[in-house]
Amino acid sequence: MPVRDVSSLKRLLPGRVFDAEADLLAYSYDAALERARPDAVVIARTAEDVRKAVQWCAESRSPFVARGAGTNLSGGCVPLRGGVVISTARLDRILAADTQRGVAVVEPGVVNLNLQKRLEPAGWFYAPDPASHKICTLGGNLGENAGGPRCLKYGVTTHYVKALEVVMPDGALESFSIEDEGPEILSLLVGSEGTLGIVTKAWLGIVPSPPEIVTVLAAFKSVEEAAACVAAVIAAGVLPRVIEAMDRLSVDAIEAYAPAGYPRAEAILLIELEGEGKSLELQLDEVSSLCRRHGAIECRSARDLAERERLWEGRRSASAALARLAPNVLVEDGVVPRSRLPAAARRVREIAQAHGTPAALLSHAGDGNLHPQIIFDERDREQTSRVKRAGLEMLRSCVELGGSVSGEHGIGVEKRAAMTWLFSDETISLFRRLKAALDPEGLANPDKVLPLPGERAPGETRPKARPPTDAAAALIEAVRQRAKDRRPFSVFGARTKVPEQIAAAGKGSALITRALSKVVEFDREDYVATVEAGISLGELKSKLEPEGFFVPLPMSAGTVGGMLAAKPWPGVREGILGMRVLLADGSVADLGGKVVKNAAGYDVPRLLLGSWGALAVILEVTLRLSPIRPALPSELPKPRPPRFGTWQARLKKAFDPHGLLNPWVGELR
Amino acid sequence: MSGVLGRLLTALGERSCYDAVSQCSRCGYCEQACPTYVASGREPQSPRGRNQLARLLLEGKFEDPLSAREALSTCLLCGACTSVCPAHVPTADIVLEGRRELSGTRSAWLRKALHHLFVRSPDILAILIRAGYALKRSGLSRLAARSGLLRLIGLRALAEADAHVQETPKRLLFEMLREDTSLKEDRAAAWRYFASCGPNFVFPRVGLATIRILKRACGRGSFFDGRCCGLTAYNYGDLDTARALARMNIERLESLRGEAPLIADCSSCAAFLKSYPQLFLREADWRARAERFAARVRDVVEISPSLPKDALREAFALHDCCRARHGQGLSQQPRRALQPACARWRELPESDVCCGGAGLFAFKHPGLSEAILRRKVSDIAASQARAVAVSGTSCLIQLARGLKKYYPECRVVHWSEAVCEALDHEDG
Repeated sequence: MPVRDVSSLKRLLPGRVFDAEADLLAYSYDAALERARPDAVVIARTAEDVRKAVQWCAESRSPFVARGAGTNLSGGCVPLRGGVVISTARLDRILAADTQRGVAVVEPGVVNLNLQKRLEPAGWFYAPDPASHKICTLGGNLGENAGGPRCLKYGVTTHYVKALEVVMPDGALESFSIEDEGPEILSLLVGSEGTLGIVTKAWLGIVPSPPEIVTVLAAFKSVEEAAACVAAVIAAGVLPRVIEAMDRLSVDAIEAYAPAGYPRAEAILLIELEGEGKSLELQLDEVSSLCRRHGAIECRSARDLAERERLWEGRRSASAALARLAPNVLVEDGVVPRSRLPAAARRVREIAQAHGTPAALLSHAGDGNLHPQIIFDERDREQTSRVKRAGLEMLRSCVELGGSVSGEHGIGVEKRAAMTWLFSDETISLFRRLKAALDPEGLANPDKVLPLPGERAPGETRPKARPPTDAAAALIEAVRQRAKDRRPFSVFGARTKVPEQIAAAGKGSALITRALSKVVEFDREDYVATVEAGISLGELKSKLEPEGFFVPLPMSAGTVGGMLAAKPWPGVREGILGMRVLLADGSVADLGGKVVKNAAGYDVPRLLLGSWGALAVILEVTLRLSPIRPALPSELPKPRPPRFGTWQARLKKAFDPHGLLNPWVGELR
Repeated sequence: MSGVLGRLLTALGERSCYDAVSQCSRCGYCEQACPTYVASGREPQSPRGRNQLARLLLEGKFEDPLSAREALSTCLLCGACTSVCPAHVPTADIVLEGRRELSGTRSAWLRKALHHLFVRSPDILAILIRAGYALKRSGLSRLAARSGLLRLIGLRALAEADAHVQETPKRLLFEMLREDTSLKEDRAAAWRYFASCGPNFVFPRVGLATIRILKRACGRGSFFDGRCCGLTAYNYGDLDTARALARMNIERLESLRGEAPLIADCSSCAAFLKSYPQLFLREADWRARAERFAARVRDVVEISPSLPKDALREAFALHDCCRARHGQGLSQQPRRALQPACARWRELPESDVCCGGAGLFAFKHPGLSEAILRRKVSDIAASQARAVAVSGTSCLIQLARGLKKYYPECRVVHWSEAVCEALDHEDG
């Protein structure tokens, strides 16, 4: 690779550019295994520094990679094609912490813990708490859509992003907000791993701290019993803030290194409950009795901070305990529907055994996110490649169990190929078009997230896509026909939100989704339902709610699809896990999944919110259900079709190059 | 040629330096603990960066090894990274090893000069220093006087340090202690006092305070009258001199009767004395002797004299000297006696973060050191403390300078001096 001449970059950003060999080597790695040298490193101090650096890259066709603390576990910060590493670590000011409005305004280099420290005295906190929260930056959290133990109750990063200021790959400084009309570009950027731009400022939601917390430790004779207990706790309508699970290997390692007094059991759960007074007592009683009923051989709880800390100490020292066994620990990150956790744990054990690679298992059990920890020495090439293979196989088994290859660590470079296990060629090609729409030169963190052309993970794993229902098949056929004839058309659900003149006349012929009225899958154990878009909200709620499963969408006339496409309330994004969509050319893409945490691929389902059917036709949506009735608005404003901004218009082109879908959206007002 | 150590004593046992550095799995948990990374935001100035660069040096993967010099030379050697590292990777030791790899035969003459002064003729060193003080007091240009002399014998950094020190003791500590009959060597001594270079040459008052505490808390003891601990030479990359000094101190302690502990009042020296075994990993006999020696070393902050409650009325804070906290794992010990004796105790938010003094660091990297110092002083100011206790010579010099500049309402004292102030209260 030719070394780029960075002298003009140095003139542009005096004192901010470093290119001595030691600097380049120090920015050639992150917390994963991949390495590649950049041509220069920019330590930005202001958003303007970032903008200038990106603009320089755009003008000189140089790749660039944004970097926060470099704690990425999937190689996301490694400059695979050289170019410029742009560090935002020193954009580290907390600009506001406004408890009145529940918003913190931060620069991307703010360390997660520093925001927590700032909020704590006021009795507030920022919910996402990745294991690396003491060191990782909020910019990195945004790029990875980071989660953490607390996300069981509180959700992941995307649930807390209200607005972003972003340097786009061409060097333009833009702002996107959750309140913007039209497709949610904001949501597309969260979790895009720096492949679509660099965040320079973020408005993040913050929440009041709970009055009291109780930690419960429960030990079980088997992983299955522990998992059954977790399911029972969730089904009982108790929503703990955290449910962490450790397996026997982890417990043994902890007790050998930093004895925490854990019982030597096959599985240990740490469950944290929060609340106040009587309601907390009720929760605690319920959880304790559920633990006992599910065979807990020991169950104790702690209230005051010091006592709780003692229970957590073991869990926290787990990685230290493992680190002593060998130089390196590969932390995998798979996710499965919660009910499949015992099966996944079994598979992880089998795979570890088959490869001769000892792996301890730590899981965020409440949301099916497992982190096998494989111990090895990276200096041993044969062992390292065996460990990598074992890790990938573990991910593959997660996909086979209906899960995903990343719950919170992202895809980066290390899991790029594994994307072909998860997504169809149609879906991946859609992702590529989106990337090209925002970054036509392919400069922003190239060769990440998406498999390279022709790159495939070995073996076919992707479960065969469920065949379309009859109604969906008919729609697909209709769209194919129109695509062939290049005939524009309008997508309608119940026509409750479409402006009258459109509903009456329509530009082009109408495509009616009302026939898509099935509940395709209702997974009571995992609290997930996949429903067709044409089902009315009333009908859906009347089907699920009598059984105690609540839909995270407000009641309204019209269809589920209409509610999502028109987005009369920003909160509709909260419970969306996946979608099946019909593209303008008649192809079908399956996006997201049925797991509650998923950091694989672009968040297209949320991008489609507010798109008014102009990007794609929603065929199905997968929703996270709740055992308790969520707070939802009862009155909704009448939504108006949006006008598209420049970036939205570019995305429209990527989805629908011939402008066939709802051509009136985006221009009418 | 001093060469390199090759092997290190780590928290995971004895390891080759390469194995020790390979224990870093790049998780990055050290980054926020590192004052230079927080100040500069640059990966090469983080523990992870330094470990990775040292590793690449060892692997011979550098085209331009000297480009790693800045990363290695900007390390404070504070050890905060090792405390937070899951595998306790000994970054400071690795950095020093890296520096030795890089320095090669550089400054061979300086090593010789140091060796000569510290090992062969410590008396000449004392004479030079005394002469310097005399010149300084006489009002002859400060720099031309003692500093000039120090510069002449190659101790440029010490000369810079001298420019920061206002004190010009009339007598050096060891001279006073040798004359003190109550400190005569005695087989029944309950303790032996090791005079570190700081108290010895710059702050005799600290040593006198320490001795008062030891007498009060532990009874009769004696003056050890040994050699410099060797840390300066060690940090200069001169392993031969460090080993020679270590052997002298070990032999001297062995020659004295009894098993009384050896007590030092500069935490950097105490930590280094405790780490003597690492100097002798290839010499089984000396290693065993060094281990016996190290087991007897105590930092003065490990002594808990009983003090009257609330004797000190001033708002008091403690800055944890890095070599006490991270080098020796002493966190509660310095507080045990002092805290209850303070009516207005102020726990500093980042008391275990380096002040930027770190031996010669403040003079070699003034910009970085100043940024770190400002963070420290602003913590002290935010606590509204009026006095800060420390246990290292570097901290004393650095904080005296920093407080004078940014927060003059507050003074810095050695831990021993703070304890003596409380004793004064009791003694009326």
